[in-house]
Amino acid sequence: MSDFRQIEFYKPNSHKYQLLPFRFTKLDDQSYVVTNLAGEFVVLPKELIPRLINHNLSDDNSFYVELRARHFLVDQSTAIARDLLAIKLRSRYDRLADFTSLHMFVVTLRCEHSCHYCQVSRKSADKLQFDMSLADADAALGLALRSPSPAIKIEFQGGEPLLNFGLIQHIVREAKRHGAGKRLAFVIATNLALVDREMLAFCYEHDINISTSLDGPRDLHNANRPRPGNDSYEKTIAGIRMAREFLGKDKVSALMTTTEASLDRIKDIVDEYVSQDFAVIFLRPLSPHGFAIKTKAYMRYNTDRWLDFYREGLEYIIALNKQGIALTEFYASTILAKMFTSRDPGFVDLMSPSGIGIAAVIYNYDGYVYASDESRMMAEVGDQHFQLGHVRHNSYGDIFLSPKLIEPLEDSFAYSNPMCHDCAFEPYCGADPVFHWALYKDHVGRKPESEFCRRNMAIFRHLITLMESDPFVRRLFLKWANKC
Amino acid sequence: MKVDVTFDSAAFSLDAVKTACYKFLDRFTPDIELCEGKIICHLSIDDKFSEAAVNANVDDLKKEVLDQDLRLKLKAETEPIRNLILAHAFSKTGLIADE
Repeated sequence: MSDFRQIEFYKPNSHKYQLLPFRFTKLDDQSYVVTNLAGEFVVLPKELIPRLINHNLSDDNSFYVELRARHFLVDQSTAIARDLLAIKLRSRYDRLADFTSLHMFVVTLRCEHSCHYCQVSRKSADKLQFDMSLADADAALGLALRSPSPAIKIEFQGGEPLLNFGLIQHIVREAKRHGAGKRLAFVIATNLALVDREMLAFCYEHDINISTSLDGPRDLHNANRPRPGNDSYEKTIAGIRMAREFLGKDKVSALMTTTEASLDRIKDIVDEYVSQDFAVIFLRPLSPHGFAIKTKAYMRYNTDRWLDFYREGLEYIIALNKQGIALTEFYASTILAKMFTSRDPGFVDLMSPSGIGIAAVIYNYDGYVYASDESRMMAEVGDQHFQLGHVRHNSYGDIFLSPKLIEPLEDSFAYSNPMCHDCAFEPYCGADPVFHWALYKDHVGRKPESEFCRRNMAIFRHLITLMESDPFVRRLFLKWANKC
Repeated sequence: MKVDVTFDSAAFSLDAVKTACYKFLDRFTPDIELCEGKIICHLSIDDKFSEAAVNANVDDLKKEVLDQDLRLKLKAETEPIRNLILAHAFSKTGLIADE
């Protein structure tokens, strides 16, 4: 008989639960988002917040079970909740100990395009002094393979990296020769204007992915990305087709940059990605780095205008998915992965601590090492703040224990920053010291004035609101989260 | 032009006021004085600045002091967690000496 619980056990009770750590932030006039350390979230009607905190929430309340299941409270029937929360938290930080997995090589700064928004220096195609030397490439590769990460991704950047394809071939071969035991992956970030069959045959042989730039339909792309002949779009599309033919469709991805001219063209841009058969689009704003600041391209639209663009784009992408056209928005899917899973997708801008140096690092054409791609863009306009050392003149320890890395890393714990500390969205956000340094000459920035904070808070709120108001969107977003 | 800005030392730390003033060295020269529970910043500001600009700078300084004070407090409070996570990040690099 003792196998049966007494009837009191099943009666609704309030008071008999303990709270686990959580934060809450207003979502709208009626509701709050409540999140915990592991990034689990629940949207609660605002009148429930004081009841929850004052231990007056009855276990027959419809939110009670959800709060218990997501580790916001523990009661007598959830003995392992604390352990589960700890496991999920540990999973979120699991990737950190692998240290730097993305190693970017700027094999040349030369480029035959002259894009207005280009965030690095544009040099004419004949200036060989802007190519990375063999000695610097070998030294950089030594640093990359010294990383404890079992998976090393080497990304070739420029300029236009295909202008120095010989060095790419050398680095790939040497990486395979010296990187036994590592899972190696290679990506070339290229405008594809110069790609040819020999290059693609090499890419096929070595399983190299292609990441290209596609800003939208022909007129927009060509206006954004001028080159001799004004045929950037035609070259890119032909390059995409040829690359897919050699490598397969999933090996070719594209990135777009939002310029002022893009703002009223979101549907055209999305339609272009659909018509080119891409499954993913990344609606990203201009970064405040390098020449984007110098040429004032960054100043041409503000955060609110970009957010309108983003919301409109997301709405259109959701509508397409409702029609059966599968298209994922990358930034949303990155955030959703943080909301719905216990793993961190490792997107440098949305990491806390920041991913600079410890998730990604860049070896510039001249052998100098920078904490991130954006850091070297800043260096091109004279700000060496995040220059960590030189591949041949400094040791691994000099570079990765440099105060130029450790100090911004320490400052980049969102949890330690005013306003972020209490923000329910902190588990999804990052601190991005490079962004704040570029705009405010401060690694942290004052959050009420930070465009980074405003942009991301608006996106977090928007994603949650969309999910709360439409079950289709919730299912779609769950799919995106698990794909990321 | 001389302007005095006063902070209550019970509410703000001296370090926060000094850090905030340091960030404004391109806009004024501070002379910091402790007096009966107050931190008084005597600011010397170039006469080329208009009154409106001076007021804006003073407002900005007050915001900065509040921000820096919270940063220092949170930094101290969260130091163990930060150190634990950073140590975890560097744990396999071979760059951290055993202690």
